[in-house]
Amino acid sequence: MANNIIISSLLHLFLIIITALSLPFLAKKPIDLPPIISIELIQITDKTSIPYAPKAKKIIEEIKKKEKEKLVSEQAPPKKVKKEKPDAIPLPDQQKNIVKKPEEDKQNPEKIDDEIKQVSEFEKEELFDPNNIAALIDKSKEETAEMIKSDNKITQSQRKSVISSGLTLNEEDALKAQIFGCWSIPLGLPYNENLLVRIKLNLKPDGTIINSEILDHARMNKPGQGFYKVLAESALRAIRLCQPLRVPTTGYERWKEIQLNFDAREMLQG
Amino acid sequence: MKKIIFLIYVCLFIFNWGKAWSLIEVDITRGNLNPLPLAVSPLSVDQNSREKFKDLLKLDDIGLEISKVVENNLRQSGLFNPLDQKAFLQKPDIAHIKPRFEDWALIKAQALITGEVKIVEEKLRVEFRLWDVLAGKEIMALAFTTVSENWRRVGHIITDKVYQRLTGEKGYFDTRIIYVAEEGLKTSRIKKLAIMDQDGYNTKYLTLGNELVLTPRFNPTNQMVTYLSYFKNLPRVYLLDIETGIQEVVGDFPGMTFAPRFSPNGKKIIMSFAKDGNSDIYTMDLESREVEKITNHPSIDTSPSYSPDGKYICFNSDRSGYQQIYVMRSDGSKVKRISFGNGLYGTPVWSPRGDLIAFTKLHKGKFYIGVMRTDGTGERLLTENYYQEAPSWSPNGRVLIFYRETKSDSAGKGFSAKLWSIDLTGYNERMVKTETDASDPSWSSLLTD
Amino acid sequence: MNLNKIFRNTLLVISASILLSACAVKTTGKMQGDVYTGKDTVEYLASGVPDRVFFATNETVLTTASRETLRKQASWLRKNSKINVVLEGHADERGTREYNLALGERRANAAKDYLMTYGISGNRISVISYGKERPVDSGSNPLAWSKNRRSVTVKAN
Repeated sequence: MANNIIISSLLHLFLIIITALSLPFLAKKPIDLPPIISIELIQITDKTSIPYAPKAKKIIEEIKKKEKEKLVSEQAPPKKVKKEKPDAIPLPDQQKNIVKKPEEDKQNPEKIDDEIKQVSEFEKEELFDPNNIAALIDKSKEETAEMIKSDNKITQSQRKSVISSGLTLNEEDALKAQIFGCWSIPLGLPYNENLLVRIKLNLKPDGTIINSEILDHARMNKPGQGFYKVLAESALRAIRLCQPLRVPTTGYERWKEIQLNFDAREMLQG
Repeated sequence: MKKIIFLIYVCLFIFNWGKAWSLIEVDITRGNLNPLPLAVSPLSVDQNSREKFKDLLKLDDIGLEISKVVENNLRQSGLFNPLDQKAFLQKPDIAHIKPRFEDWALIKAQALITGEVKIVEEKLRVEFRLWDVLAGKEIMALAFTTVSENWRRVGHIITDKVYQRLTGEKGYFDTRIIYVAEEGLKTSRIKKLAIMDQDGYNTKYLTLGNELVLTPRFNPTNQMVTYLSYFKNLPRVYLLDIETGIQEVVGDFPGMTFAPRFSPNGKKIIMSFAKDGNSDIYTMDLESREVEKITNHPSIDTSPSYSPDGKYICFNSDRSGYQQIYVMRSDGSKVKRISFGNGLYGTPVWSPRGDLIAFTKLHKGKFYIGVMRTDGTGERLLTENYYQEAPSWSPNGRVLIFYRETKSDSAGKGFSAKLWSIDLTGYNERMVKTETDASDPSWSSLLTD
Repeated sequence: MNLNKIFRNTLLVISASILLSACAVKTTGKMQGDVYTGKDTVEYLASGVPDRVFFATNETVLTTASRETLRKQASWLRKNSKINVVLEGHADERGTREYNLALGERRANAAKDYLMTYGISGNRISVISYGKERPVDSGSNPLAWSKNRRSVTVKAN
């Protein structure tokens, strides 16, 4: 057997040498090719391995963050939310925002004016009229008033913590499937930012919503959080559109309060 | 053994105990990517204004016309589904004051746009509101005044504001496209510079077609255009002031200059200069007229494009033997190849967001428009065709416009060149309407911010 | 068994070499490889002096036939010393516009360099690239493209 192998390999070697010598045309190609390929491979791995590592890191960090968030919300929702309340009721904030708006509007026309003058052959002037601001301010007062009301409700109901063991898989799937259908994901959102919107709902036994609260809604009105606001609004629209929610027929105490975590990253990345 | 079982019990107990106090959480990680259904109510016009607009603009109902502009823009974006106006239950004037949200929810509208147009001191005054139908509240209200000839732009500005409010991203509707209008036989095409609104209206021709013109590009303020002209059979990069119509040659090069683009601050033009069979990349400062050689390599270096911060340049080079994409510092140092996939790569363009580079790829006889990250990773091909190239970004970095040519027989039959746009996601591929055949599109920045 | 193996390997080598030889340059009518060799579009500067040379895809190297044509042009130019020429470089439509402009320029310069090595002064030769803008054949097929990958010598005066 050993002999056979030796003879075989010798003959093979012989054959290879003969082909290499007698067919230089053939031999050259295989010799030429590997270096080219390997050079490219090295470059590719150089390229890809660098960004891959941070990517993995990011994912790990994200998971860690998520875990932290979950811990926080699981352990101390009543206290935390309560604390948030006073700052979160954005009475002064919101009004400021809305009062600011007209100012921005006022600035706008000037900008428009300048730029259009530069561009123009088509137009000479453009002005802005901030007349209809009064209506806006009135509106905002109504809104904030409503918000206070709903906030109060939530804090009251939060005091009675409900003993529950969560939804069954089937129940959860039914609810998810329903909301998946209602939620139009705003496609302009960046997928690489932490945009998780957590909404707490108080439900009636038939699945209609008594009220809804965005858990970190202080973030909504912060500057530079435009995307968060857009996502939060889309989530609220989804819930309203889905009303009444597909809730289990039994065990109202279990699910009369429920938290929905809206996370579009998976969809936006794909 | 018993200890372990005990431990498990303890664990289970703690676990359950924790759960007992917790709120039920449901993770919503999926939704639909269907365009958002919304209603664009015709803007209301009072009788007096209506008559005046009729005289001024020859439009029967300017409110309806503006709403059509908005509706068309939103539909073209692929992110919105404007509902049929025939289904609307409420009249425009009443809807603008106090919409009956139940009526709008009934036709499945999630948002509603209402408005009012008036003549105020011989000018067009528009006021519009965006309503969240499901929440039953107003989420935006704006008003502005302009000359009445600008009525289409009014529609575009409204779209930009609505788009931004609902997507979180700036719009791209009050913009223009400069392109090359083409006519005639393939062997002797007549080409003119043309400019139009982003939606294909208001086309104006900037050159007469006496000489070949190619690759026009806007400067950041949309006032100037740089392009290649074969004026007097000397292919050179030119600079054109759109407002005054004044043109001038860029620099004094003893040979062909081509592939021009502005730097992000608009102060320089970057381009290729070909001499003795070798093309290198040069910049010229428009104020000091100083010329700087950026690449120095005995290969073809062309199609340069700055990163939005002006610190880097991506360009096309065949120094490896074939056309590939490279990135370097803006002074020409640290040249690095970034394209490594199969096939040839050309026309790299840096996205206005800075995170991506769009390109044309030629592989196995097919042309692709694609994007990759600026380090060359994450290559994504958006569209495949017989021939297409030269992508240009919308100012918000969301949409690419490019041109596509069709096959022809030996008599040149079947040949056409058209502009197309596609979303960064690879969805929503659409032909952009032009009066003639068209190529080499370049997207302006927003005309109003 | 060993003999069998060797036999099989030899067969493999032989069949592989046959396959490879099949890959070698194909000559189909008016093209050699993908360089145009026909006369359809060719015009003449003088009797027996073709005005253009053709190139392979993405190539700027002059073929043997091209060099012969250019030598004829050079001797014609030497005889007619008052004539100046423009070399027009062209590319086919299967490339990006900007790169093709550079490619056309390089092709025309390849021709120019060759004329200069045969004693024609660089002052008498100017170069212009049309990239893919001025095809001579409108077709979208390999033959049409091969006709369009060209450098054409045109009298300038």
